[in-house]
Amino acid sequence: MTQVVEIESRGGRAGTTLLEVDHVVMNYTTKEGDVSAVEDVTFDLKNGESLGLVGESGCGKTSMALSLLRLLPDNGEIRQGRILLDGEDLVELSEEAMRQRRWRDVSMVFQGAMNSWNPVYTVGDQIREALRLHWPTTLTYTEETERIAALFEMVGLNSAMIERYPHEFSGGMRQRAVIAMALSCNPKLIIADEPTTALDVIVQDQILKELKEVQAELGMSIIYISHDIAVIAEVTDRIGVMYAGKLVELGDTLEVFHRPRHPYAYLLLGSTPSITGPRRKLSPLEGEPPNLLDPPKGCRFHPRCPFASDRCKSEEPPMTDIGGGHEVACFHWEEVPEIRELSK
Amino acid sequence: MWKFIAKRVGQMIVLFYIFLALLFVLLDLQPGDISQQFVGNPDIPPEAKQLMIDQLGLDEPKHIQLFNHLKNYSTFNMGASWSQYPRDVSDILFSALPRTIYLFLTATILAYILGFWTGKIVAWKRNTATEKAVMGTSIFLWTVFYPWFAILMLWFFAAYLDWFPVGKFVTLNFESRPDLVNSISDVLFRTSGSEAASGWTSSAAPGANDVFMLLFTSLIVGTIAFFGIRWIVKRQVKDPTTQARLFTGGTVLVFGGFVLYWITNEYGPWAFDIFWHSVIPVMTLTLVSYAGTTLLTRTSMIETLKEDYILTARAKGVPDVTIRDRHSARNAMLPVTTSLVLALATVIGGGIITEQIFSWPGIGQTYLAALSSEDIPLTMGALALIGILALIAHLVADILYAYLDPRIRVQG
Amino acid sequence: MADLLTKPEGDAPEGEAIIATPLWRIRLRLFRRSFARNWKIFAQNKMGLAGLAIIVLFGLMAIAHPIFMATIWDGHEEGGKNVYDPRAGADAVIVEKTVVPDGEITDPTTQIGQTEAALQGTGLVIPEVGTVMTAPLANPAPPVISGVPHPHWLGTDPFGGDILSQLLFGARAAFALGFTAAISSVLIATAVGTVAAYYGGVIDTLLMRLVDLMILIPALPLLIVISGFWDLDLIKLGIVIGVTSGLGGTAIILKSQALSVKVRPFIDAARVAGGSDFRIVLQHITPNVLPLSFLYMMFGVTAAIFIEASLSFLGLLAIDQSWGIMINIAHTQGYTLQGLQVWWLMIPAGASVTLFSAGFFMVARAMDEVVNPRLRAR
Ligand SMILES: Nc1ncnc2c1ncn2[C@@H]1O[C@H](COP(=O)(O)OP(=O)(O)OP(=O)(O)O)[C@@H](O)[C@H]1O
Ligand SMILES: [Mg+2]
Repeated sequence: MTQVVEIESRGGRAGTTLLEVDHVVMNYTTKEGDVSAVEDVTFDLKNGESLGLVGESGCGKTSMALSLLRLLPDNGEIRQGRILLDGEDLVELSEEAMRQRRWRDVSMVFQGAMNSWNPVYTVGDQIREALRLHWPTTLTYTEETERIAALFEMVGLNSAMIERYPHEFSGGMRQRAVIAMALSCNPKLIIADEPTTALDVIVQDQILKELKEVQAELGMSIIYISHDIAVIAEVTDRIGVMYAGKLVELGDTLEVFHRPRHPYAYLLLGSTPSITGPRRKLSPLEGEPPNLLDPPKGCRFHPRCPFASDRCKSEEPPMTDIGGGHEVACFHWEEVPEIRELSK
Repeated sequence: MWKFIAKRVGQMIVLFYIFLALLFVLLDLQPGDISQQFVGNPDIPPEAKQLMIDQLGLDEPKHIQLFNHLKNYSTFNMGASWSQYPRDVSDILFSALPRTIYLFLTATILAYILGFWTGKIVAWKRNTATEKAVMGTSIFLWTVFYPWFAILMLWFFAAYLDWFPVGKFVTLNFESRPDLVNSISDVLFRTSGSEAASGWTSSAAPGANDVFMLLFTSLIVGTIAFFGIRWIVKRQVKDPTTQARLFTGGTVLVFGGFVLYWITNEYGPWAFDIFWHSVIPVMTLTLVSYAGTTLLTRTSMIETLKEDYILTARAKGVPDVTIRDRHSARNAMLPVTTSLVLALATVIGGGIITEQIFSWPGIGQTYLAALSSEDIPLTMGALALIGILALIAHLVADILYAYLDPRIRVQG
Repeated sequence: MADLLTKPEGDAPEGEAIIATPLWRIRLRLFRRSFARNWKIFAQNKMGLAGLAIIVLFGLMAIAHPIFMATIWDGHEEGGKNVYDPRAGADAVIVEKTVVPDGEITDPTTQIGQTEAALQGTGLVIPEVGTVMTAPLANPAPPVISGVPHPHWLGTDPFGGDILSQLLFGARAAFALGFTAAISSVLIATAVGTVAAYYGGVIDTLLMRLVDLMILIPALPLLIVISGFWDLDLIKLGIVIGVTSGLGGTAIILKSQALSVKVRPFIDAARVAGGSDFRIVLQHITPNVLPLSFLYMMFGVTAAIFIEASLSFLGLLAIDQSWGIMINIAHTQGYTLQGLQVWWLMIPAGASVTLFSAGFFMVARAMDEVVNPRLRAR
């Protein structure tokens, strides 16, 4: 009984590696040609760690997340690479085996989670469905209800709402309920794709804080995805910056946030007003993100890059460790100026 | 939900009166007043004419006439039929009504269930040969010229294959179809051959209408019991396995009870004869509205499959079949139920033609017969009744929708 | 606005150049461009193209009828009437038959009993078994291609009328009726929709209640009583069908389209510029709902043909000849249960009604995908 209600982590010992994403290439096939939405992305994630993925709209963040769960639409395909979860390659799994991993090991909070609810079932019933599919033992109806009530409490919802329909929830409540559902089967990893974008700043803040508390309590790993680096900088341990399907910079949050080394990250952070730091005028990010049907040769950022040289036009810069686990894919990272003092 | 239903009922009543007024206008647009048309009819005694003038207030101003018309029709006082004088129009119509409802309900329920099932399966398996075949057939059935199709069905099943009787409601004399008595009745019913073989014309035979009413009532009771049990189980029992068991148990109980009732009933063979006559008309009407439901469900499923909650369900690791049935199809049902209303006109029109072609003595046949014998009161009465039926069918569809959609059901 | 008024002089010629092109030209050019674009989308849809091919085929049939009447069917008079006349023509096809003993006929189209043969002749001499003589083929006659004075390629109906001629004539009738109904339906629907949308208020409420009623009451029973009470010819019937269906669901859809047009800025601009209500409705709202109207016109044709054929089939219409009447004649003359034995009576006419409606239905569905992009397959 208590075992049911008690929400505990199934995550492994903190610090050991949970997820390894190894040179993943993902394409969408369209009439016009292949869209290279995720190109050669490599990163890893430790148990209990939280990672942020940031980048402009359309750079492939959601595609990356969907690849991890193998939830791609019919025209999307993982062409290369491995996705190791606890050492097991998800790309190789059968569809049925993958289905059983979903939610039990990796759950997801979707972009625009407000529409994630099926309008014709109560919120409680939809969480119940996840429990029935993935909870290791068969629960009675009352046990299920107790567990859902505990989850609701954890995300700050009144347990009287369990038997209500999604349309009776406010946007913020729906979002909290989605988080409750994501937690329902004690996953090892939660992917939160823009979990708070549609909400007002105050609610956004509350929810992120709650998520952080829950994570601290349960010790699971979380991947946060957002286009707004400032929002997730507060809740993540490390940050990866994506540009046009590629991961261009990866490092500790404070490092990346205060001393971005990739010109794109530098400009992106420049276009994000800093609340704490002094205001300063930076050269804005000019031009349009590239068309992924036909991405630029060499470094994908070179057409918009103020530091670009001829080399950038022909050669793809590899991810290089510049020390302290801070990786950058740029030939000119040393030329990028510092934008904020490490004063925080 | 109750508020919603009350509102809809109110609207329907208003619409019904507008419709009655429209009928009055139709009548009034005819040359001369109704009593003059009726003069030429030799079957009707002249004193009836004065009665009619008084009753309808034909010598009064138009607005009084309209008022009388509305009043008479809302109390089902629709006068005497001319062609079957002096039978009351309402009497004729009410005896034909159950037969029409039987045809219409059976066909609609079957078509909805089958069409929904097919539609959801083809939407799930897009770009397969099955989808193409089903789509082709459905578009054919949906666009086929209905009377022609019905004639071909009649020819194929009744004349060519000789499986079912040709039209009509009952076999006048079982002896003319000994095969029917011997092969079907004797196998299915305990009734001895001689009793059954005496047929409808013998003195021992029950009235066809009585048997039909019994059949009709038992079908309605059975259907209500079936859905009632499901509804109660769904509300009261939360555990999924117990639920499934009770569903199966309920189905077996209702179906078994129905069969048992008719096997032990002495009217069994007669009821079966009526049922046997209804097979082709019901099948024909079903096929056409089935095609409509299939097409609608498919489109609606394809729409719902794009919704975010389907992605959520997939992320939750819900098995494909459950996603299809529990998540996508359940939502696809909503627009299908709404559009059922649009298909309704087709089914009602089709019903009239069906009754005509298969000589099924329902409202539609009565209506056409009345029209061709220039029996104006009966024509108008039948049309009014068809209007009421259409309105009620819409109301039911609306209520069904409200029940299916918690956004309406819960809000009120 | 302000900087528009204080435009530097240098820009004036350019502005004039734009105004110099008449508005209708611009509209035409825009129309042609959007037509080309939409055609491209449409042409990707195989179903739509098939539908179009069917319509063209029936178009050819309709054109063929007067041509045939003037050429190959010209001069086939009998009893003062052309036997190929789709309405009044009648012909007893004369073929050669072999005389067989009475009661031994195995194929009535090529054999004739001795007694009957005697009656066909002078009635005095009983012809010997085995003689070949000319005798009328029974009506309805199966297709006869050659060897008789008036060949009937698709046979004759129970009264000796030529099926092919009736069929081709039926295509004309179908187009005439379909288009009358579709056009009047869309005119009514567009009028009701735009007026309701533009004026709103009481007018809107009244019109919409009427529309509700028309949606709720199935069309066929209503039209049955109307055609039972009044004698309707094709055009009148077309208008009646058009009006009843135009007041239905189409009006609501066109109204919502008109509503979305109404709130666009150029309508306000037109109103500020002092356009009268009528002008605004006619010139600005109507062109914007026309594509949708056109779509519903296609659906309208299907419905109208269906209703006409059903009413004809029920014998309620005072029209000369149509596919529905052909089926009605076969049915009322008692050939229903002979089915495929007399296939030429029912199959060509029934298939024509079906295919004709299907053709328009398919085109309409394909057009629907052009107008509503979300229906398009990936
Ligand atoms: N089903 C699809 N078919 C083809 N291309 C697609 C599909 N889904 C996404 N794309 C393309 O893949 C690229 C990456 O899209 P993705 O949704 O991953 O971006 P994102 O970084 O999540 O953007 P956002 O911040 O707006 O959510 C985009 O260029 C998009 O156009
Ligand atoms: Mg995204």
